[in-house]
Amino acid sequence: MSELRPSRTSSVVSDRLLQALAEELKLPLLQIARQAELSEQKGIELSAIQALWFVDSYILSQQLLQQPHLALEPVAVSAVLQDVAHALDGLAKQYGCSLELHLSGRYAPVMAHRQGLQTALLGLASTLLTAAQNEEAPRLVLAAHRSRGGVVAGIFSQTEGLSQAVYRRGRELYGRARQPMQEFTASSGAGVFVAESLFDSMETSLRVAKHQHLTGLAATLQQSRQLSLI
Amino acid sequence: MATVLLLEPDKSLAQSYKGALQRAGHTVHWQNDAQVALGVIDEQTPDVIVLEFHLPNHNGVEFLYEIRSYPDCDHIPVLLHTMIPVEHPGLGHEFWPQLGIQEYLYKPQTTLAQLVDRVAKLTTPQLV
Repeated sequence: MSELRPSRTSSVVSDRLLQALAEELKLPLLQIARQAELSEQKGIELSAIQALWFVDSYILSQQLLQQPHLALEPVAVSAVLQDVAHALDGLAKQYGCSLELHLSGRYAPVMAHRQGLQTALLGLASTLLTAAQNEEAPRLVLAAHRSRGGVVAGIFSQTEGLSQAVYRRGRELYGRARQPMQEFTASSGAGVFVAESLFDSMETSLRVAKHQHLTGLAATLQQSRQLSLI
Repeated sequence: MATVLLLEPDKSLAQSYKGALQRAGHTVHWQNDAQVALGVIDEQTPDVIVLEFHLPNHNGVEFLYEIRSYPDCDHIPVLLHTMIPVEHPGLGHEFWPQLGIQEYLYKPQTTLAQLVDRVAKLTTPQLV
């Protein structure tokens, strides 16, 4: 009788295989995106770009999680949210979704990994955007506000079905169920779970949050104390 | 309009980049091999080099060390247009100024329009 391999080993091997596969996928997706851009097929270009984000964000999350001590740096949340809004603009138009940026005043820099934060917010926004596509007038809000613990940054929409319980159950099911947050999105919700691991690596956590009358996912980022004193 | 040496290992991507740069009026010499590209430079000095870091046989840095040793090639601006994210330590950021790398673009997040725009900036004489 053959001996069963320890699950840890198979998990490491499958992680490595998945990372290699993700790296490999970047090239054909990029080929599609650039060919579509050259032939002015905007829809195909945007779909390929969205797929590239997911692949890239997965690779980045794996790289960050593998670092024993992630170097966090002071990051301007509003600048990151503006970059995310800019990157999402074409995709939002494709889905007929209005994009809003809600920033209330100036924020002190927060301690984060800039690319990790941007990728996490982009992944969240992408998942919330596809979840909102069947609404009559889909609306996505990228918002930040001050809180006692720092600055809260998140993505919010009118889509119903997202709650802390749905998110918690989704965390238990992802990777095993095709639709781990079925009440909220028909997709796998990969953007949310990749964002979760990116926020974990930045020593914060993702949670369901409210902004005005919208529901979404947000994380609290600690202010950079060093720069706050200046 | 400028003469662009495009060093891109992937043929399909190269066709897209070449097409976009040609539409913008540039003359494009595409090569997927650094060694062959050196021969192209011998025949005609490009105005700008668009370079992928990962190339067959030699990598982009080796290629740049080689051309920077030619007196007539020490001024050519280089646009690093690569699949490698900017924070990757293997990119050797500390050598960029001495290798004449003036711009970096992460390929998966760079549209053809952005590439054409950067090439135009690198080949347009700046007012002093």
